[in-house]
Amino acid sequence: MTALPDDIEARLRAAAPGGIGYSRDETAKGVAVAWCELADPADLEAAARCLKDLGARLSTITALQPKPPEPDDDDDAADGDDAADAGEPEPPRALGGVAIDGTSYEIAYHFDVDGDTLTLTVFLPAGGGTVPSLTPLFRNADWSERELMEIYAIRIDGHPDPRRLFLDESVDAAVLERLIPFSTLVNAASTKSLWEKILEQKGGAS
Amino acid sequence: MSTFTIPVGPLHVALEEPMYFKVEVEGETVRNVEITAGHVHRGVEYLTTKRTIFQNITLTERICSLCSNSHPEAYCMAIEQIAGIAVSERAESLRVMASEIKRIASHLFNVAILAHLVGFDTLFMQVMETREIVQDLKETLFGNRMDIGANCIGGVRFDLDSKGLSYLAAQLLRLEPQLDEIVRHYRTNTSILRRTRGVGVLDRAAAVDCAVVGPVARASGIAYDVRTKAPYSAYDKLDVPVHTLEDGDVWSRALVRLAEAKTAIDVLRQCAAHLPEGPTGPRERPDVPAGQAIAKCEAPRGELIYYVRTDGSRCPERVKWRVPSFMNWDALRVMLADAKVADISLIVSSIDPCISCTER
Repeated sequence: MTALPDDIEARLRAAAPGGIGYSRDETAKGVAVAWCELADPADLEAAARCLKDLGARLSTITALQPKPPEPDDDDDAADGDDAADAGEPEPPRALGGVAIDGTSYEIAYHFDVDGDTLTLTVFLPAGGGTVPSLTPLFRNADWSERELMEIYAIRIDGHPDPRRLFLDESVDAAVLERLIPFSTLVNAASTKSLWEKILEQKGGAS
Repeated sequence: MSTFTIPVGPLHVALEEPMYFKVEVEGETVRNVEITAGHVHRGVEYLTTKRTIFQNITLTERICSLCSNSHPEAYCMAIEQIAGIAVSERAESLRVMASEIKRIASHLFNVAILAHLVGFDTLFMQVMETREIVQDLKETLFGNRMDIGANCIGGVRFDLDSKGLSYLAAQLLRLEPQLDEIVRHYRTNTSILRRTRGVGVLDRAAAVDCAVVGPVARASGIAYDVRTKAPYSAYDKLDVPVHTLEDGDVWSRALVRLAEAKTAIDVLRQCAAHLPEGPTGPRERPDVPAGQAIAKCEAPRGELIYYVRTDGSRCPERVKWRVPSFMNWDALRVMLADAKVADISLIVSSIDPCISCTER
């Protein structure tokens, strides 16, 4: 017996005209874990409202840039050069048509319905799309949304207070998307001058 | 009357960790609070994607000190779901025992700080001395006083023989009467009552609105406990009463923590009395396929949720967690509204703040 109603899939389907993908598991202890992918990010607000009416609590929000699946090396070796000649393989597409190529985004909103978990997932194209803010509906979305705005190039529409949360204004945006060389990170500009100093001393000594 | 702004923090005598509160006051009364976070942001979420799935058990244990056992516990549960690993009944019971021992130590620490902030340092020392019984227990059973390294993927890394179990029973027997006496002090002492009753109130509606969890929610009348709402490990077989109070003030939060520490003793005895036989962990490291999972556990401060995504490689693709303290900061703004300046530190401490957990 779980708290998640049986008709939840139908309710979400009705709330999201763009289409959904739905699956549901149960742990060995009888706790339901449901996953719902939304084809259209614009449906997020209506789907979240549907969960709010059920008394759901927003647990947290995860944003990530999913990697494309690894090409299957074993098949290539066995079947000869068919796959190799085809050039760059097309990246797979998420529900709604966003290409999963390592630069697009996935945002997962994890809701708690009296112990059970339901995750709403939206997909955004590379370069950062815009999703509506859930803060007006769920007050605690505030910090989660501010955090994901500062680490990814994702824009949240209608956030009441879109300031930085943890990172200072002086830090460039979308830190989690950039490779920052260690020498830049620790501002290792002194390395060269130290080396020159040593050379100079050696030159003076010899 | 005009208002002016006073800074509390980032470094402040009443805070163990850095957090910056800009408190707008009118005379002695708080009118508005602005919180600036990020002083101990370390980027641990990024680091988890650079460590292997197994190395991350060690890394997640170091996110926080007081709930250090809950992080690897939830992380391992998520990986076990992805890999379809069943944990033996003995390992499940041992996991419960590790987390309940940590819960007593964590709750007593917070309640002790309350006595210190009230200015009742004798009680502070008494509670800390009692807590030392639990610290000795951890040191003896796990070899460490804080990071106990109890969990591994598929089970636990420790086992309790008859010697360990009888030491546990003896320590609990010592702890129980001392804890009863502490509870009596917090219930009856006038200094404690005067400073904490009706202070920093978070009513039920506001608690639901802020989505708080753990003792903070239960002190505001929300009977939510992951151990009973979404049972994991051996909690489906154990009798775990959920303690709630209605007032939502500093005193209620302390009393809920004390009641939970008392319950933890009982849960430990239940586990020890019916410890199933069997292996404690897998013989070899399992393969972890691509997948995603969510795991929740009741850390001392409330629901800790982990989301893990793997892609079949050695390192996870994304590990995200949300600690109970994350929502408590916003709830603080409700609790501090119209509070007296002298009560600020007491109210902040009553959420059992964990900054290294919040900022990661």
